[in-house]
Amino acid sequence: MVDRISFHDQISRNKWKSFFLIIIIFLVFLVLGYVISLATDPGLFFVIMIASIIISILYILVSYYNSDKIALASVSAKPAERRQYPQYYNSVEGLTLASGMPMPKLYVMENSQINAFASGRDPEHAVICVTTGTLEKLNKQELEGVLGHELSHVANFDIRFMTLVAVMVGMIAIISQLFLRSLWFRGGNRDDKKGNAIFMLVGIILAILAPIVVQLVQLAISRKREYAADASAVKFIRSPTGLIGALKKIKNEHVPTQETKKINKAVAPLFISDPFKKRLENLTSTHPSIEKRIEVLEKM
Amino acid sequence: MIGWILIGLVVLIIGTFIYYYNRFVILGNRIENSLAQIDVQLKKRADLVPALVKVVKGYASHEKKIMDSVTKARADMLKAGNIASKIKAGDKLQAALGKIFAIAENYPDLKANENFLQLQTELSAIEDKVAYARQFYNDSVLYLENASESFPGVFFFKLFGRQKKEYLKIPESSKEMPEIDL
Repeated sequence: MVDRISFHDQISRNKWKSFFLIIIIFLVFLVLGYVISLATDPGLFFVIMIASIIISILYILVSYYNSDKIALASVSAKPAERRQYPQYYNSVEGLTLASGMPMPKLYVMENSQINAFASGRDPEHAVICVTTGTLEKLNKQELEGVLGHELSHVANFDIRFMTLVAVMVGMIAIISQLFLRSLWFRGGNRDDKKGNAIFMLVGIILAILAPIVVQLVQLAISRKREYAADASAVKFIRSPTGLIGALKKIKNEHVPTQETKKINKAVAPLFISDPFKKRLENLTSTHPSIEKRIEVLEKM
Repeated sequence: MIGWILIGLVVLIIGTFIYYYNRFVILGNRIENSLAQIDVQLKKRADLVPALVKVVKGYASHEKKIMDSVTKARADMLKAGNIASKIKAGDKLQAALGKIFAIAENYPDLKANENFLQLQTELSAIEDKVAYARQFYNDSVLYLENASESFPGVFFFKLFGRQKKEYLKIPESSKEMPEIDL
């Protein structure tokens, strides 16, 4: 029996947490910039900050508005013809009726592995892409489970969030790189040599740690959202059976390695299961382990 | 000083009124929209009936009673005025279609006919969509119920004179267990 906790709570919790995490990441960015400027030359502070702000805003806008096209292009996805894939279309239409969402554009990618992803900044501009392997290997119920999971990512605004976080990571990495590089051509003499050295040290440590921390945060957020997408899918379909079946099939799949190489590492977090198939769930996995996900679903 | 506090309170109160008014409007509209979605699916199903009747008549022409009940159910659906009676008629049509597919088991030639198979697949897909549309309607009604019965929404609901909506029930025919002839 699905517990009638309002999933509304889950979505708003996600949105709040995302908001706070973004603020934290942003603060990390500010602190980093501040320390770097203190460690180098206070005069350069404004220049560095303004340059990186301009670059990152452009970067954000471009990726935000084109995230779906970028993701699709990176895997050579083709639009799915309704006549060729009626089951695909019918399943998604049913799910949009159950969720009250607009119909996304549907795509297919050539790959024998069972997998799927969704992209797009909001439900009105969403796309879903499945592999040919998915359509061949899963039955109707299991396909519905997978598509429900992907549609949930759209409905929960995961994708917009994931894009923003990816962009933040990029920003901080760029600043850290700028700083580490500027160490090589030192500017700015300061009277207080000792204080200068301490700032330098702290600056270096921050510059190295910050991207790692942000990457970890991004991964933690990503994993939680995978569980949430599983839960939302069950909310729409009213039964975890399909999704459990699909996950079990994914777990038992044997994957030829050539095809995996075609998938760009950057879009890996968007897929329903890790295309690179890490054995153990650890801090660096983008997805929770399949066994755990099945366990959670079976409890529903 | 006290002036500011009073202004703040007034703003807060007005804000609360606006919030709840809008909330009920949105929830009400969502329910209307979901009814419209159900209507779309029901119409799609009704549109497929003539083709189905034609194909079945070609193989099972003496099954007059069932063919007539299907045709009548469809006519009722198209005549129906408001959405509630459309849904009722749609339920009758669903039951009649179910009977057709049940008797089709006795006619292997019919079952092998390509048109029949395609219609069967399409109608089956529409059944799923009707079910999902009804599910969404009931979910929307639940949201409205929760908003209008909990505190303080319950006051505003009465104040704005809004009305509650009813849940859609499972049609009686699909509750019946099919008889299995062993």
